[in-house]
Amino acid sequence: MSIQEQYKKRVRELLSSGAVKMVIGYQAGTTADRRRPLFIRTPEEAEKLVLDSACIANLSGYLVTEGLLSDEKSVGIFLRPDGIRSINILAAEAQLNPEQVVILGFDGNDKEVTALQGEKARDFSAIIASIKEHAPEAPRNPQLEQIEKMSPKERFAFWQAEFSRCIKCYACRQACPMCYCRRCIVDSNQPQWVNTSSHTLGNLEWNVVRAFHLSGRCVGCGNCDRACPVNIPLRLINAKMAGEVLGAFDHFAGMSETQEPVLASFKKDDSETFIL
Amino acid sequence: MTRILLSDKLDNCVARWRKAGLTVIGPVKKETSSSYATVEKAADFDFGIVLPDRSIKELFFPQTEPMMGYTIKKQDIATNDFAPPTEERIIFGARPCDASGLAIDDPLFGWDYKDDFWFQRRNETVIVTIACTKADDFCMCTSLKLAPDSTKGSDVLLRPLQNNKGWLVEELTDRGREAFKEISEFLQEGSEQAAPLAVVPEKFNLDSCIAWLKNPENFDSTFWKEISMRCIGCGSCTFLCPTCHCFDFQDEGDTYSGIRRKNWDSCSFSLFTMHTSGHNPRSTQSARWRQRIMHKFNYFPGKFSVNSCSGCGRCTRQCPVDMGITETLQAISTLKP
Repeated sequence: MSIQEQYKKRVRELLSSGAVKMVIGYQAGTTADRRRPLFIRTPEEAEKLVLDSACIANLSGYLVTEGLLSDEKSVGIFLRPDGIRSINILAAEAQLNPEQVVILGFDGNDKEVTALQGEKARDFSAIIASIKEHAPEAPRNPQLEQIEKMSPKERFAFWQAEFSRCIKCYACRQACPMCYCRRCIVDSNQPQWVNTSSHTLGNLEWNVVRAFHLSGRCVGCGNCDRACPVNIPLRLINAKMAGEVLGAFDHFAGMSETQEPVLASFKKDDSETFIL
Repeated sequence: MTRILLSDKLDNCVARWRKAGLTVIGPVKKETSSSYATVEKAADFDFGIVLPDRSIKELFFPQTEPMMGYTIKKQDIATNDFAPPTEERIIFGARPCDASGLAIDDPLFGWDYKDDFWFQRRNETVIVTIACTKADDFCMCTSLKLAPDSTKGSDVLLRPLQNNKGWLVEELTDRGREAFKEISEFLQEGSEQAAPLAVVPEKFNLDSCIAWLKNPENFDSTFWKEISMRCIGCGSCTFLCPTCHCFDFQDEGDTYSGIRRKNWDSCSFSLFTMHTSGHNPRSTQSARWRQRIMHKFNYFPGKFSVNSCSGCGRCTRQCPVDMGITETLQAISTLKP
């Protein structure tokens, strides 16, 4: 039985036994290479499920939809390891109760996917620990290395050019599982912290604010990068920041549901290279 | 015999137009994204792009535009109005759906208040459209009763030659004729055939969709919730749409000086209809998606007798969750009115 068929069976079981009220997965999209989020509420609807290498989107953001988990019922969700890390962060930041999340885990490359054993986020801690362990030797994005070699002036010019295309549609924010704020700082106007206009300064402010807000929280799922309609390479910024917090604080986002948020916690032995 | 513009003469045309003081704009791919942008020579154009990522709208209705400025000093207060910029332009290589989008928005911008910023740019811009010989899976102009060679909103329509060496020239307006008079020495007579137009299958029955949308009982249909469940509430579809025209005013500055700007806004955003009281009449994403569809195919045509969609397909093409007008109208097509 293919992994897709195995998981269809599992989804039917979960729904008919009442273990979950809904399963969030993938279905076919407009074109052969596209997949759409799917919300399965009856065993019959499981037939629409597609699970293959084109299922890339991190669906965990849907779990924090207002009211979804407030009835304390469980929801099933298809997640790759990065999505499971998102669940850990959302749990650590008190946005959801991980006991309500039944994970249908999978992993793979651009050709095939394999099932991951486990059900609750904590069941996958060994996999996540191994990803962290191998993080330093993982191949680095060549474009990121190129940017790191630039002088600060060149780098600023590079990002200025990239951000000049930003139209402030906030697709990056809306696609990001970590951007769950009911009211984003850019939507606050008493006072107006960040310019809402999509001009040079406004675009720079927005993207820098987001980069800092995601430092130590981004799992590199790529949702923002794929969502950007003008193709700003957002994942490079987040990958850079993730590298910084890993180097400075040995913090790898989403290790466990009790992991302290790196920018909201203090340890006596944190290095103080610039504060005092 | 028809008039023909050969591609190898385009460089002369661009130079001539520029010499005549026109800014020449066309489809350009820069780094990883395409748009209509200023060109200096024929080689800057990229006519291979099916449709630029960004629509033509931003050239007439920019994402942010200063309207008014103020300075307050001890004794006096000064304001200054920002006039619409003066720039004669020619857009060479617009797509028919984009050009149509501008014509669709004209009545809106001239309705209860005449938007000088829009109309000055409209009046100072010649639009030379190239008929489409290629389409992708998202194109849907035919479903909106338009076509790969629609002339709506265009001053000149060019049809690519079968031999791919140039275009047949069809001048449509006086403004178009004048711009092409400037380059008449680079045009020639010819009998070459136009390349076949792109085949764009009809994806939904527009009339039956509109009938369903007009039935007030369907306003509260559970359909809206189902179809928009995966919508993440970003503004990608509205901002890339050639006809979405909503904007917001924002004051930037402080007590002593500042600028009032007109910025793109989107009905997909939860803040779009938020009242100061905290009440939001469109408090759910499904109500917001319904508004977008209703506005385009019910309210807008009710007022201006034209649908607010030209079938470019950008909403679906760029949607992070693969939603869009096509899927929604396809689904409505199957419902009983």
